[in-house]
Amino acid sequence: MPTSPHAIEAEALVKRYRTGRRTPPVEALRGLSFEVATGSVFGLLGPNGAGKSTTTKILTTLALPTSGTARVAGADVVRDAAAVRTRIGYVSQGTSTDPLLTVRENLELAARLRGVGRADAAGRAGRLIDEFALAEHVERPAGKLSGGTRRRLDVAAALVHAPSVLFLDEPTTGLDPESRAAMWGEIRRLAGQESLTVVLTTHYLEEADRLADRVMIVDHGAKVVEGTPQALKADLAGDGVRVELFEPDADRVRRAAASVPLLRDVVVEVSGPTGSLNARAADGSAVLAPLIQALDAAGVAFGAASVSGPTLDDVYLHHVGHSFGGAHPTEGAAA
Amino acid sequence: MTALAPASPRIVRASWASQTGQVFRRWIIGTWRQVWGPAMSLLQPVIWIVLFGQVYSALGTLPVFGDDGYIGYLVPGILMMTVLYSGAWAGTGYIDDIGSGVMDQLLSAPLSRSAIVTGQLLQQLVINVLQSAVVLGIGALAGASYPGGVGGILLALVAATLLATVFCCASSAVALTTRNQVALIGLSQLIVLPATFLSTTMMPATLLPDWVQAVARWNPMTWAVELGRAGLDGTLFDGSADAGRLLLEGAGLVLLAALAFAWTVRSIRAYQRSL
Repeated sequence: MPTSPHAIEAEALVKRYRTGRRTPPVEALRGLSFEVATGSVFGLLGPNGAGKSTTTKILTTLALPTSGTARVAGADVVRDAAAVRTRIGYVSQGTSTDPLLTVRENLELAARLRGVGRADAAGRAGRLIDEFALAEHVERPAGKLSGGTRRRLDVAAALVHAPSVLFLDEPTTGLDPESRAAMWGEIRRLAGQESLTVVLTTHYLEEADRLADRVMIVDHGAKVVEGTPQALKADLAGDGVRVELFEPDADRVRRAAASVPLLRDVVVEVSGPTGSLNARAADGSAVLAPLIQALDAAGVAFGAASVSGPTLDDVYLHHVGHSFGGAHPTEGAAA
Repeated sequence: MTALAPASPRIVRASWASQTGQVFRRWIIGTWRQVWGPAMSLLQPVIWIVLFGQVYSALGTLPVFGDDGYIGYLVPGILMMTVLYSGAWAGTGYIDDIGSGVMDQLLSAPLSRSAIVTGQLLQQLVINVLQSAVVLGIGALAGASYPGGVGGILLALVAATLLATVFCCASSAVALTTRNQVALIGLSQLIVLPATFLSTTMMPATLLPDWVQAVARWNPMTWAVELGRAGLDGTLFDGSADAGRLLLEGAGLVLLAALAFAWTVRSIRAYQRSL
């Protein structure tokens, strides 16, 4: 396998889906290009429908791009899909192991299907059972495991043939906080292996912030911004200011915020009877009191107000114009 | 064991036969863990033999049914009905796999698509052969005899296997296309009853209305039933059956089975293209 500083090289990926004969095709990816350094953890972030899963499906050879090229672990995903498949592990959304097979049977099957010999398959299964703390469940059918244990089995099965690139598609969605923390520990442990590149698709910004060496935010099938979490946050000078709102009138909130000097990047979001005001300031604590006073004077009902250092949520808000997973803004950035 | 396990196992592209074997093994283990399904499906032919055998027993006095009466005529038909009904459900496994995410795993592995189809088909055929053996046993207990001997029984099993291949593959192709359990069940129910009653499963062609005879002649269910019946009652071997016609019907079943298999492989590729 050719050595390359990049485990993944995607160039101008476009994916269009036909939804009907009379309706125009849906463009899920609009010329997405990016590279993933070998041995790194790459976070692919975006809301539902942003194009994350489509990107993952193309890179794992499950789907064909409409145009553009991609190389994974040195092989082209279209022209040399078979080679890509031997070099990747893939944990899909939901579960990906057979519910009727036991833990050991699932691991051995995954190994054999990927070309590992019988003896090696048994050995690798045993090794992964130990590494992923699955020993006490080894003879239980996967369908009878708890959510967190089943997810550990999914990841172990994806690693059984020692792939060079591991795709984790929303690996902690649906897990309770304890299982999620355990899965983060596993991903961190895997990230310590120099030879393994991990592509982590998630819609938990905190997850990407904690685990990824580099993140790329996608929205509407296109790259919004890419960089290390630290650099992206550092680019947002100052603090984030957030105020919870009750039955807000967006115009009134915006006018109140505009009266506060040094407050910038104001975004007001309304979702039913509640909403939020997000903004940035060089010194968040200095603008909080005037902002509260301005809202109060304008007759805006509000709840908790907070000031925090920049997070990936702020990065997302800054670049996309609305909070991650939140309502779309009634007003864009102002001031 | 763990200490000896390789950190980087040697990867060799598995042969098509090995891939098929692994897929087959997976399905067989799953079947064994849910053995109540195939076990319950064995009750159905028992009920059919008892029910149809009793309801139509008076027909047994007609000369056309020979020494065994109606039960001897009915058993080959029930044999084919069993594999037809069983085969029509084969696609549900794919719908489960698509829903559970297992299909994505199979498609992202270096696996031949035809190995995925063949592995599942073989599991279905093994179950069908076991069901067929049970049907023939129950038929014998109910009074049917098989003058065609072992050769005749084997011929009936081959015919049943070909018919099962046709319907298992067709069901799988529909499942991969619709990806919808309700649509598959609806379509199966729409097909299996006409396929059964517009054939010589229950009645000889001479007792059927002209238009039903015309349809039955081109119904693969008739082909399989006639082939199985000629084997079991020995008429294929004593020269009293129309061997030329049976040969053509057998060839027709082989052709349909091949086409249905190709349709399933094409459907699994179409499914992947739609992702």
